[in-house]
Amino acid sequence: MLETLPDWLSGLFSEDVRSSLAYITNGKHLAWYASIRFTLIAAIGGATVAVLFGLVGAALKQSRIMPFKLIGDFYTTIVRGVPDVLFILFFPLAFEQAVEYFLARSVCEPEVLAAATQWPPCEAAQWFLTTTDYLIMACVSLGIVYGAFAANVIHGAMQAVPKGQLEAAAAYGFTPRQVFWRFKVRQMWVYALPGLSNVWMLLLKATSLLSLLQIADIVQWAARLGSANYYSRVGLVHPDWRWKYYLVLFVFFIVMTMLSERFFAALQARASRGMSLAGSD
Amino acid sequence: MEAILQSAFVQDIATLARPALFNLYFALASIPVGFPLAVLLALGKASRFKIISRLSRGYIYAFRGSPLFIQFFMFYSMMLALNQAYLKPWGIDGVVLHPLFLGPMVLVLNTSAYGAEIFYGALKTVPKGEVEAASAMGMGRWSVFRSVTWPNMLRLAWPAYTNEMVFLFHATTLVYFTLPVVNEQKDLMNKAGELFERDYNVFLHFSVAALYFLVLSILIFWLAGLVHKRLNQHLTGRAEKIRFKPGYIR
Repeated sequence: MLETLPDWLSGLFSEDVRSSLAYITNGKHLAWYASIRFTLIAAIGGATVAVLFGLVGAALKQSRIMPFKLIGDFYTTIVRGVPDVLFILFFPLAFEQAVEYFLARSVCEPEVLAAATQWPPCEAAQWFLTTTDYLIMACVSLGIVYGAFAANVIHGAMQAVPKGQLEAAAAYGFTPRQVFWRFKVRQMWVYALPGLSNVWMLLLKATSLLSLLQIADIVQWAARLGSANYYSRVGLVHPDWRWKYYLVLFVFFIVMTMLSERFFAALQARASRGMSLAGSD
Repeated sequence: MEAILQSAFVQDIATLARPALFNLYFALASIPVGFPLAVLLALGKASRFKIISRLSRGYIYAFRGSPLFIQFFMFYSMMLALNQAYLKPWGIDGVVLHPLFLGPMVLVLNTSAYGAEIFYGALKTVPKGEVEAASAMGMGRWSVFRSVTWPNMLRLAWPAYTNEMVFLFHATTLVYFTLPVVNEQKDLMNKAGELFERDYNVFLHFSVAALYFLVLSILIFWLAGLVHKRLNQHLTGRAEKIRFKPGYIR
């Protein structure tokens, strides 16, 4: 990396600076920087799924049909009553086993299947997951967990949409379904944004758990790069530097939080144009 | 009866009882220290002295803005880096590096930041009239705080702080994902994971672990509800009812 710089530029730095620049731009470090993509994909993918689950959850919660309402309330309560780590580990494992169960029924010999004492019943039914598979599952499980939080936010926001707006729409002859989608859902975003921004912050922080799903994310790379580095040919390259790498991650997440705050503040200002919300007038 | 006792579900409940104590220990060891620290930080953030206010604000922002998972790794590796030079010579490495000490320590640092934000919010909503009335009565700053600001702040913050305590209890799962497991000292997730690796029955073991978390969360909630009732006993009928909503506060 450093070799690509023109001589006059690299000549500006002292030998010490040059060697540390070379160190933090070596291949492994570049792989570390590149692994930020997993964090960002999981955060954005998870947020998308979370909003979808939030919409469905909120719709279920205010459904007039009892079983639907119960499902919605059960979903939001159970997820909030149990640590997110448990769900983030549980969903991928459960999904993997479900797939392997159906795979086993079709590929394993019936007698092997009946006598099986271990999982999966036969070698052929083993599903080896790639990083992409795990990443998709991470998005979905983050989405399910934080969808419950989003469902609460969206449910509250839908209640905050002025009744008059909905009544006016109904009076104009819109069907209940149209009133829901074209007025309630359209208008609730402004009321939901502050809550959703909080959910986003939680989700962003939860993306640090990706390494628990065998994804070589920034946390795992930090551990690898930071551990004491010893080569028999050169001796000790550096002692245990993990704290430095974790400190960088600590700062990284704080900066991400700051940027998110700025982004949501701008979004809020844009979304509430022309609306008279409490405190704005 | 015999069949029920022998069932895998009941067996799991029995096996996971001891690990549940570790989660409870981490929460119970952190709350008594985290609570006063949170109050101090909240007062610091509201302080008139710029330096104290800035420092508290920065601390709260940093610990709320970064994942607890990273905080655990960071403090553990920092302690390891200090081990040879300081901890070992002083003979305290066995204690400081032990997860039963380091776990609550990091949890305290984390929860005091979240708690401080809650108490700061409450401090800002303490009725101004009551504070002014107390000063007008000739009460000093300390007695105004003790008899007006403090009880009001605690009362207003309690529902949100209850949620924070439940969240802290959930966060105890991260301790053994980041710190070394000593002997058989395993918490719920740890033990559930171990049971899972034996028979790959993810639905049973994780559900029982989830059940423990749910029941203990409700227990914490119920106990905090009793305190809430006591804090609001002078406000018959007016008090906001406490709700199980560890929602989007954290």
